[in-house]
Amino acid sequence: MTAILRNEARKLLPGSLALVGLFAFFSILYFSMYPEFAGDAEAMEGVVDAFPEGMMEFFGIEALDTIEGFISAELYSFFWVLLVGIYFAYSSAGTIAGDVESRKMDLTLSNPVSRENVLTQKAAAYAVPLAVLNVSVPVMVYVGSRLIDEPIDPVSIVMVHLLSVPYLLVCVGIGLLLSVTVGRERTAQVTALGAVFTLWMVDGVSNLDTDYEWLGYLTPSHYYSETDILVHQEYAFLDAAVLLLAFLLLYLTAAELFTRKDI
Amino acid sequence: MPAVETHGLTKTYGEVKANDDVSFTVERGEIFGYLGPNGAGKTTTIRMLLGFIQPTSGTAEVLGADVHDRRALTERKHDIGYLPDTLGFDEHLTGEQVLDYFAGMRDDSRRDELLELFRPPLDRKVETYSSGNRRMLGIVQAFMHDPDFVVMDEPTSGLDPLKQDRLRLFLEEERERGKTIFFSSHILSEVQQVCDRVGIIRDGGIVALEEIESLLQRSGKEVRVQLATPVDEDGFVTDDMIDVEVFDDAVHFTYTGESQTLLEHLVQYETVDVDIGNPQLETIFRHYYEGSREPSEEGDDGVEGGDEPGEPQGSDANGSVDGRSSGDGSGEGGASGSR
Repeated sequence: MTAILRNEARKLLPGSLALVGLFAFFSILYFSMYPEFAGDAEAMEGVVDAFPEGMMEFFGIEALDTIEGFISAELYSFFWVLLVGIYFAYSSAGTIAGDVESRKMDLTLSNPVSRENVLTQKAAAYAVPLAVLNVSVPVMVYVGSRLIDEPIDPVSIVMVHLLSVPYLLVCVGIGLLLSVTVGRERTAQVTALGAVFTLWMVDGVSNLDTDYEWLGYLTPSHYYSETDILVHQEYAFLDAAVLLLAFLLLYLTAAELFTRKDI
Repeated sequence: MPAVETHGLTKTYGEVKANDDVSFTVERGEIFGYLGPNGAGKTTTIRMLLGFIQPTSGTAEVLGADVHDRRALTERKHDIGYLPDTLGFDEHLTGEQVLDYFAGMRDDSRRDELLELFRPPLDRKVETYSSGNRRMLGIVQAFMHDPDFVVMDEPTSGLDPLKQDRLRLFLEEERERGKTIFFSSHILSEVQQVCDRVGIIRDGGIVALEEIESLLQRSGKEVRVQLATPVDEDGFVTDDMIDVEVFDDAVHFTYTGESQTLLEHLVQYETVDVDIGNPQLETIFRHYYEGSREPSEEGDDGVEGGDEPGEPQGSDANGSVDGRSSGDGSGEGGASGSR
């Protein structure tokens, strides 16, 4: 009984491959930029100054003069955490809402499958983009760093991806929850996009002002620090567990609401 | 155990009752017609029977499973087929892939046999399908697991007359094999042709549950006769004619008697043109069911907008009823009477 899973996974594949393409492009760009940038102290200062005050803290950027810090800032802080997070939330927000809107759900549920089963298979389909991205991007980063003779520790590259999985799952959970509560596919997706972006912004702001530090605890990106992993080799497994728990709660809430929902 | 048994099934959306105290029984091995104009609440009932929406009150059992018992109902779906009014297939899949998708969730032992009767272009993507091809793909998926009970919501919509006949014959064969069909439609003539018994729904409530024979007697035929000479009304009109309107040399009336008697009567006159067709659903309501329920105004259109998304809102159900009857009505006059 994996028909739904296979069908959903097939639909997610083109988007995942497009993201891989995007990361390939930016990997080439940043790895080719770095040697020149690192060898030129003036250029380095220029780049650091180009960040408005507070931006470094906002993004959690450190050690820009090391390859780890540079790649963490350029590739992971924005593209991975925000862009990939939004992709997962946006697409998962469409899964249930879209099927209900297009009446595809009627045909699906006329089969001997429960609603919990439908939701589980749709969530499980995200194993495909998770696998595709988390296998190809670390390889690109490792190969890129070797090519410019600035090798990054492969363990920390693996960890920056492994520990991002719970974070991305939370983004899926946000999407699924919106997908069963919001009636229209487009509305659910835009709301999911807005939610992930807002949470990311709140986390950034909470880094700037200690008065708002507590707000950061409510955001998923607070529990995933690419800079700590790449620059300091600090692996926050407990934070990852918090994210996994959050995903589980989001998923169970979505399942409960979906089983009660009039479609 | 009947195939379906509903008790006071009610679904309200705010103030509007989309289904109001709907009770009926569908026996095993019959084709049960569920007849009513667009927006009457047919799809709402179906969606409650299949567990898509929860009744506000009342209950129903489908093949012995209570619709409130999600687990039991899900399990029974091995034996249930469903042809929705709006067919939400994955547009980017080919017909073949769509059937494979469903075959991943249930049996498809009758797939090849059905594809010989109904032939959607399987190697093409569903997004390129005509509405007829879509409907045929829907029919194949509804029956391919050889279910005991099949719910069909406006099953002929989009099918050309030839395919409609094929479907009718197929359904009769299925009945012979002991299958139960729930046939929801707003088209009187097709319900008359194929069903054994009919439940008539209007404004969310059941107004009649009838054997098809008595519906045939009640509904009569709408007849328009143009004579060569002005009509002598007293001589022409018989007791079987109701709603008679005479315009000099033309007569319009609803005929409630036997077709043969009508034809024998008409040959006594020199006629220029004769048109015999099925009456509009609303005409039948006016004649026989007025007062059974208070007809509401536009009230439930809004609800049904979400309820029956496939049906063009604002278009008059009668247009389609009328369209059918004038299209094949004159040739069909005797045929449907002889059923």
